[in-house]
Amino acid sequence: MKASGLGLRAASPDALADVAGPLPVTRRPSAAVAPAAVKPATVTPAVVAPAAMTPAVAAAVAGDLWLALHLAAPASGPLLERLAASAGEITPRVSLEPPDGVLLEVRGSLALFGGVEALCGKLRAACRREGVRVQLALAPTPLAALAGARAPRRRGEAPFRVLHRAELVGALAPLPLGVLRLPQETIERLAKMGVGEIGQALRLPRAGLARRFGPAMLAALDRLVGVEAEPRQNLSPRERYRARREPSYELTEQPAIIAFLAPMLAELEAFLRGRQGSVTALECRLHHREGAATRCRLRFAQPAFAAAAIGFLLGEQLAATALAAPVTACELVSSRLVPRQSASAALWQPGEHGGSLASEAPALVERLRARLGEDSVYGLCLVPEHRPEAAWRRVAALHMAANNRQQAAGSQKASAGAARPQPATRRPLWLLSTPLLLPALGAWPHYEGPLEKLAGPERIETGWWDGRDIERDYYVMRSRAAVQLWVYRQRRAPHEWFLHGVFG
Amino acid sequence: MTLPAYAELHCLSNFTFLRGASHPQELVERAHGLGYSALAITDECSVAGIVRAHLAAKACGLPLIVGAEFRLRCGLALVALATDRLGYASLCRLITRGRRAAPKGRYDLGFDEVAATLEHCLALWLPPASLADEPQLLAMAGRIRERFAGDAWLAVELLREGDDAARLAALARLGAQAGLPLVASGDVHMHLRARRRLQDALTAIRLGVPVAGAGQALYRNGERYLRERGRLAKIHPAPLLAETEAIAARCRFSLDELRYEYPRELVPAGETAASHLRKLVEAGARLRWPQGMPGKVRALIEHELALIAELRYEPYFLTVHDIVRFARGEAILCQGRGSAANSAVCYALGVTEVDPGRMQMLMERFISRERNEPPDIDIDFEHERREEVIQYIYRKYGRERTALTATVITYHRRSALRDLGKALGVDAASIARMVAGTQPWDSAPDLAELAQELLGFPRHLSQHVGGFVISAGPLAELVPIENASMAERTVIEWDKDDLDALHLLKVDVLGLGMLAAIRRALASVAGLRGRPFGLADVPQDDRDVYDMLCRADTIGVFQVESRAQMSMLPRLKPRNYYDLVIQVAIVRPGPIQGGMVHPYLRRRERAEPIVYPGPEAREVLERTLGVPLFQEQVMQLAIKAAGFTPGEADQLRRSMAAWKRHGGLGHFHDKLIGGLLERGYSREFAEQVFEQIKGFGEYGFPESHAASFALLVYVSAWLKHHEPAAFTCALLNSQPMGFYAPAQLVRDARAHGVEVRAATVIASDWECTLEEGRVLRLGLCMVSGLGAAPARRLVAARARQAFLDVQDLAGRAALDRRDLEALAAADALAGLAGHRHLAFWEVAGSEAPLPTAPQAGIDEGLPLLAAPTEGQDIVADYRTTGLTLRRHPLALLRARLARAGLLPLRELPQLEDGRRVRIAGLVLARQRPGTASGVTFVTIEDETGHANLVVWKQVGEAQHRPLVESRLLEVHGRLQRQGEVLHVVAQRLIDRSAWIGALRVRTRNFH
Repeated sequence: MKASGLGLRAASPDALADVAGPLPVTRRPSAAVAPAAVKPATVTPAVVAPAAMTPAVAAAVAGDLWLALHLAAPASGPLLERLAASAGEITPRVSLEPPDGVLLEVRGSLALFGGVEALCGKLRAACRREGVRVQLALAPTPLAALAGARAPRRRGEAPFRVLHRAELVGALAPLPLGVLRLPQETIERLAKMGVGEIGQALRLPRAGLARRFGPAMLAALDRLVGVEAEPRQNLSPRERYRARREPSYELTEQPAIIAFLAPMLAELEAFLRGRQGSVTALECRLHHREGAATRCRLRFAQPAFAAAAIGFLLGEQLAATALAAPVTACELVSSRLVPRQSASAALWQPGEHGGSLASEAPALVERLRARLGEDSVYGLCLVPEHRPEAAWRRVAALHMAANNRQQAAGSQKASAGAARPQPATRRPLWLLSTPLLLPALGAWPHYEGPLEKLAGPERIETGWWDGRDIERDYYVMRSRAAVQLWVYRQRRAPHEWFLHGVFG
Repeated sequence: MTLPAYAELHCLSNFTFLRGASHPQELVERAHGLGYSALAITDECSVAGIVRAHLAAKACGLPLIVGAEFRLRCGLALVALATDRLGYASLCRLITRGRRAAPKGRYDLGFDEVAATLEHCLALWLPPASLADEPQLLAMAGRIRERFAGDAWLAVELLREGDDAARLAALARLGAQAGLPLVASGDVHMHLRARRRLQDALTAIRLGVPVAGAGQALYRNGERYLRERGRLAKIHPAPLLAETEAIAARCRFSLDELRYEYPRELVPAGETAASHLRKLVEAGARLRWPQGMPGKVRALIEHELALIAELRYEPYFLTVHDIVRFARGEAILCQGRGSAANSAVCYALGVTEVDPGRMQMLMERFISRERNEPPDIDIDFEHERREEVIQYIYRKYGRERTALTATVITYHRRSALRDLGKALGVDAASIARMVAGTQPWDSAPDLAELAQELLGFPRHLSQHVGGFVISAGPLAELVPIENASMAERTVIEWDKDDLDALHLLKVDVLGLGMLAAIRRALASVAGLRGRPFGLADVPQDDRDVYDMLCRADTIGVFQVESRAQMSMLPRLKPRNYYDLVIQVAIVRPGPIQGGMVHPYLRRRERAEPIVYPGPEAREVLERTLGVPLFQEQVMQLAIKAAGFTPGEADQLRRSMAAWKRHGGLGHFHDKLIGGLLERGYSREFAEQVFEQIKGFGEYGFPESHAASFALLVYVSAWLKHHEPAAFTCALLNSQPMGFYAPAQLVRDARAHGVEVRAATVIASDWECTLEEGRVLRLGLCMVSGLGAAPARRLVAARARQAFLDVQDLAGRAALDRRDLEALAAADALAGLAGHRHLAFWEVAGSEAPLPTAPQAGIDEGLPLLAAPTEGQDIVADYRTTGLTLRRHPLALLRARLARAGLLPLRELPQLEDGRRVRIAGLVLARQRPGTASGVTFVTIEDETGHANLVVWKQVGEAQHRPLVESRLLEVHGRLQRQGEVLHVVAQRLIDRSAWIGALRVRTRNFH
């Protein structure tokens, strides 16, 4: 556990007696999300002061009784947190044992909730609501409770419930060592000595055991049976920003909405500054008197925290949003906080000598897309292909630069192995999306009059792998109007001529 | 318009791997068909395909030019064409130089090396695609003109890749400025335009990208084929085409000029090769026949020497003799085999132990006068010591004069589908299904077509297992040498067929595990009997040994220990050496597919009259009772009874080896059947002979090889019968080899009364040993996970003083925890620490002490550790040594097996034929012979014996999982009895592996 860094583990049981008095406990919001309409900044940061006995770190005490909840299958973080939240209604001393366990100290809660059965029933109900299968166990030490909960139980076998220290060793003895989650290597080495159960391990000579498996192994066994204390860090909920404000009159115009949102955004910035956090997404809900709220979702290319920047993007998006009805309330809900990565400001302004457009271009693209729509802004890149129609393609604008780099790298790889580099040949800048069939009078094609051959043929026969095999002879030709045209002749019958491109 | 004369001077074959898209033969034949006046095969820094091109060109009469393309470090590219033998030698030297300087499969050359090495060669400069950088081009041209003045041209390759007219003009200008004449060439990559798709696919495979992503690395069109002369005339000015003729006329070299010279140093001064060979043979003969040579043998030797002299093969026999002499001096056991190896000369020279007096030697087989082909001798050496022989050859003749033969690795179904599938972007799962045969190829039409074309394409050169070429002069003037993937190995660019075609000498230096085992066993026997004991000391014609063979009591015996051989032994009942020769050769696809086995057995039992289909056949088939069994007999039948010339018969033999891959036995079929019918043989017999030829194609087994193997069969059987402890010990020390795992070898030895003791740190050496006479002590080599070096330290430390405890052992033998745990796991610490659990406790607490912290007398109290159960020990024994000396695992399960109504295997022989039986056993081996049409043979074992299961195809397919996954298999089936041979024909298979928990059974799978 993290708390081992606090030096508590080294303390002897005697030393622990000093702090074994009544624990000051602060009730804290049990759910991960602060209740609506409460001023959002009430969430207290979880800072642990190592010297004092705070509710965040609760040391094991002789009188503790631990309840472990073990999930049949490993669970996601949020699921564990929800279970912990339910547990939080029973006791403030809840800690997670990812990926499949939750621990509660329940000695004080037994009377309050009407005994072991009632308490377990309440937890089981919570788990049923989440649709997870669990095993519960009770023991005087956290590790023993976890071990008991993890131990496979035959049908009809009584649950692991040890309320008194004196019974603990006897109850643990037949459990397989695996439930202690020792390092795999340790388990295997012990198995080779014929030691597979906790009882067998507890009977081994202590000095010999420590010499072979290290003091940590001995300490783990001591914590298991309560000879040494098990410090645990209680859970603190993860934060997000959420606020709702009602204007004194209904808002109908976008500028008015933006003006109303401004102080909320400033509050958000302050909230984030206090936590050195930033957000990756923000949802703005505009509530109406009836009907569903209008939602504006912002997703940031980089985690954001500045009110001005967020406000700007929000404004752009709102401008493009049609309001169905006047707005009666505004609500902001942020994504979970992520640590802020502050970037140092550039010395040069973009466009100046040394300034970079790299950071400016994404902003521009973000703006254009916010206004015109996702698909309306795209880039082009070259594809190293012989077929003219396959030699370019659309790319997402944001990744334009990266894409070209990638292409360049790819073609380098290909050309490094090529038997010989392909000669550079002239390609027109303008390519017809569909080649234009040209009439042929005699041997040569016509386009606004007879054409005159300047160069060629360049034979292109390729593309068989995707069903669009071409076999063409390309020529550069000059029209009467002195325009240079790119013209090809099908090698397959009926050998028609097509206009494919125009040189600039 | 008359077509202009044209010679193609720049043409790659598919031996420019993954660039060229046509076989050399295809190119030659196409060029001939188009009326080209000559064709140069110019693979990139290689002449690997030139012999095939040479043979094809000879066959159709097209002048072939030998050359190579080079792409140099500086970017300059050129084609070099050999004008004469000296030019060819320099070309080979240059290729060797470039290839030796680079990792396998690549080359590295600069212009200076080319300039310094090439002589008597013509150079075609291949200008780059872009002619923009004129000063640089002029500089390149200048270097070439300076070095190759009068012998250099500028190659004009007009491939419609842009503006050909402009390119031609630019090249003409460049040529005029640089003083280089122009010549037309085609940069040919394929014989037909239709190979364009395959060529693109090869490019993609080479670059490791899908075709769709290869982009401009592909050629933009398919012009790199052998173009019709009319087309060429339209594209090129006539003088450029005429120039090809002039160049071709200057290239006069033909591979037929290569004259191989045997190494000369084996002949002492004042002797000729012939006189020296005679001396050696006479000296050897005096040892072989101390009482004087029988007259028949004398005549044989004279006949052989005369034949050798006529064909001037003395140096070959001297070379082989020298290698064998070296091996004997180093006490490396070896045995020659092959057509020439079983001659009286080779017996006298000590190349073989097969006494010609015991064989009905047929001299025509010895060396074929008509074929004018070098004799073929393969020498088997102890597999562990073959490397010493190889190093001797390198030392003796030098790396300049000797190298390994290449093996051309070609595309097979699997590799073709895999590589092409990837190139075509077919998803990996589909490819895997197609390779496995569960999805038809034509589900991807492009893939199916291209794969068909790609089959048989060379993919890369690999080294032959042991074929050495040794020459009198520098080998690199005969054929280029390149690096092998193994360090310190070099390989020539030609394979054994190429060498045969050019009559070059090759000696096969092969490794054989049984020779190592026999050498070890003979050494033990010498120790036990207190006198030297070699191969020649093994008494011949021992009745008890043949009795044992007839009982099929042959676990561990060379060649006849497989279950197919075991079921044949009681039927064939070998009683003498020649019977063993037949036994070795009869259980092979040739005789089986030709339907020869049963007629032969019936005739042996006199159940059917011995008749000969004709007088010629009688001569050939008398020794096998009128039934052709050996490869040689089939060849001789073709010659004597079907009118083949020896040359044709030889072609037939080659086609036999390759027909599976390439097909093409059709015209032989007609000729053979026709020839036999003409001479009055029945169609049925003729078809049988042909079937057998096809069978031999899969796995040809000649009498000359069987004769050498039979000797080892007898010797190993003699050792097994008379010295089972020494024999088993030797087999264990020569692992991996043979058909059976150590567990079965040890079980069999114990069944034959050998006492076997476990591996232990108190008494075992690294290898298995004999102690107290004939007690087999397993060696520490059986302990899995223990290295040889720590084990040797352990043995050395123990020799100084016995170990006190595990701590003492760890300290004095400097063992780390891994070594100690390996020993503890294998129960090899039992004498020091007690049972396995205690041993592990001890080991966990003992490590080699640090010098600064002597750990004296740590007293930490004895742990309460229960001893492992017998079952646990057995499982651990299997896991760590592959065998157990405790009870058989199934003995522990017997009560359960009995409750399930399963019989012990020992009871099977008492039951009558056709009885329904239920049995179970550990699965030792699964075998699916290619000849047995989908049948799987399974061998199972319980504590009482073995049983052989026959699983017919349908049963196996319906119950595939239990068949392939079971470690413990329950079988319901029907007992089938043929004489002494018992099978259980399986009907129902049940996987009972759960009953044996984690027991690790070493099942061997054979295909």
